[in-house]
Amino acid sequence: MSRGFLVENGGVQSCIQDAGRRGFSDIGLTQSGAMDEMAFGYANFLVGNDFNTSTIEIALGGVTLKAQEEMCIAICGATMHPKLNGHTMSLWQVHQLKKGDVLSFGYASEGQFAYLAVAGGFQTPHLYGSFSTSIKEGLGGIEGRKLKAGDQLPTSGARCPMDRRKLEKQHIPHYPDEITLRLVKGYQEEMFDNKAQETFFNSVYTFKGEGDRMGYRLSGEKVVPSTTGILSEPICYGAVQIPSHGEPIVLLKERQTIGGYPKIGSVIAVDCFKLAQLRAGGRVRFVEVSLEEARRVTHAFYTFFGAKGV
Amino acid sequence: MSRVYKIASESSVIVYFGSSIDPAISQEVQKAYLALKAEKCESFFEIIPSYASLMVSYDLMQFDFDGVCAKIEKIIHHAEEITMSEPKIITIPTYYGVEVGLDLQLLAEEKNLSVEEIIALHVKGLYSVYAIGFAPGFAYLGEIDERLATSRLASPRKAVPKGSVSIADRQTAVYPSQSPGGWKVLGRTPTAMFDAAYDGLSLLHVGDHVQFEPISKAEFLRLGGEL
Repeated sequence: MSRGFLVENGGVQSCIQDAGRRGFSDIGLTQSGAMDEMAFGYANFLVGNDFNTSTIEIALGGVTLKAQEEMCIAICGATMHPKLNGHTMSLWQVHQLKKGDVLSFGYASEGQFAYLAVAGGFQTPHLYGSFSTSIKEGLGGIEGRKLKAGDQLPTSGARCPMDRRKLEKQHIPHYPDEITLRLVKGYQEEMFDNKAQETFFNSVYTFKGEGDRMGYRLSGEKVVPSTTGILSEPICYGAVQIPSHGEPIVLLKERQTIGGYPKIGSVIAVDCFKLAQLRAGGRVRFVEVSLEEARRVTHAFYTFFGAKGV
Repeated sequence: MSRVYKIASESSVIVYFGSSIDPAISQEVQKAYLALKAEKCESFFEIIPSYASLMVSYDLMQFDFDGVCAKIEKIIHHAEEITMSEPKIITIPTYYGVEVGLDLQLLAEEKNLSVEEIIALHVKGLYSVYAIGFAPGFAYLGEIDERLATSRLASPRKAVPKGSVSIADRQTAVYPSQSPGGWKVLGRTPTAMFDAAYDGLSLLHVGDHVQFEPISKAEFLRLGGEL
């Protein structure tokens, strides 16, 4: 184990994340994990890590880190204008850091979340099968909280297999202000009659910034389910619940495991990652997708990153 | 009884056993849950039971929807023949003093009962763990005496103290850690609900039975309770 980074400024909300916690939902532990697994996946890929390796998830920016040893890193995701010792550095490529180098992030101008991967990953505590921080539960990562000045983030000291690797331009994702989310209908879809479904699929919703790692609430045309509540039941990633106020909430990585609001279906994983990157003021449309197509897209995503099991 | 399989997402299926809080339905869910857990199928990433439903999140590299439904049905079908062993009874020592029972007075007025009567009604029940959710180790226990049934607070508390023994509707629960919440608080337990030292991390598991045992303030403090 080596010394890794010293956090000089934790920024708005930065925390350690891998692909999340599995197998504990039955006792109420949230899944947690990277909000955007695509940027997370690319960051790990560039430095030669397995898909499920711990990274720093930086929300909105404002972070300053000091390298306490030689390190090999990549930053992917939201455009936060990172600087190395005051000089602009590019995203989506490998950088070599020397001992004493200072890495500083501005504030995001496109997207919300950036991922900083280091070769070999961060050697922070591994809790219940994951390195992920659950902010809501105060669990995992560094004492279950966001990073703050003075935190030490040790690494394995590994080297990158290709010390100049960068992502080709055509693969670099962008985070537009208007996105379409593919939804598989399910759960209580029959509680939404034709008119309600028509409204739901024909509306443009706005994300006013009401959201966190648990889920994003969208504003716009109200959709009224035929009942206001259901018997509490398990909730999966991407589930779109519509409480009596009529506006959809898309449940994300730190969602509650059980809830009692009607759900029209679930947004497919890959599109949940896009939603995570949507900025306040961004617009959302929903489109129905068949289960077969949803499976194909999600399967392709995880196969691309060589993830073991999805 | 017939089960309904529905799509939850491209990698999750939800199985409905009924649509009400009913000990018989809950028993079925629990049998299915235990049978699925015992199968130790690595392709089932999450198996989450609730009152009348159960969700399985599965590896979509291994299963498609029809395939996973058939597999689950096969496992659950056998589970019907299982005779459940006697449920484990867990006793939760509880201090019902007004200084920790933040809503005892309010509830007594609302129900036209004395504080002592409220405590007695809460203590006499033997409760089943129907589901665990909301927070790690937060167990939904039911059902409390009809005379105690109550609504949630109009304005939820920003911070309900750890260990708070509380009620809402016909349910009762213990807050495993300090968190926001709107259930009415009757007392406090010094027992940890969620701890890395527990086998399975949670004191309670779906299917267990729970009894609350009134203890004095001195005993509460001796057991490590905090006011």
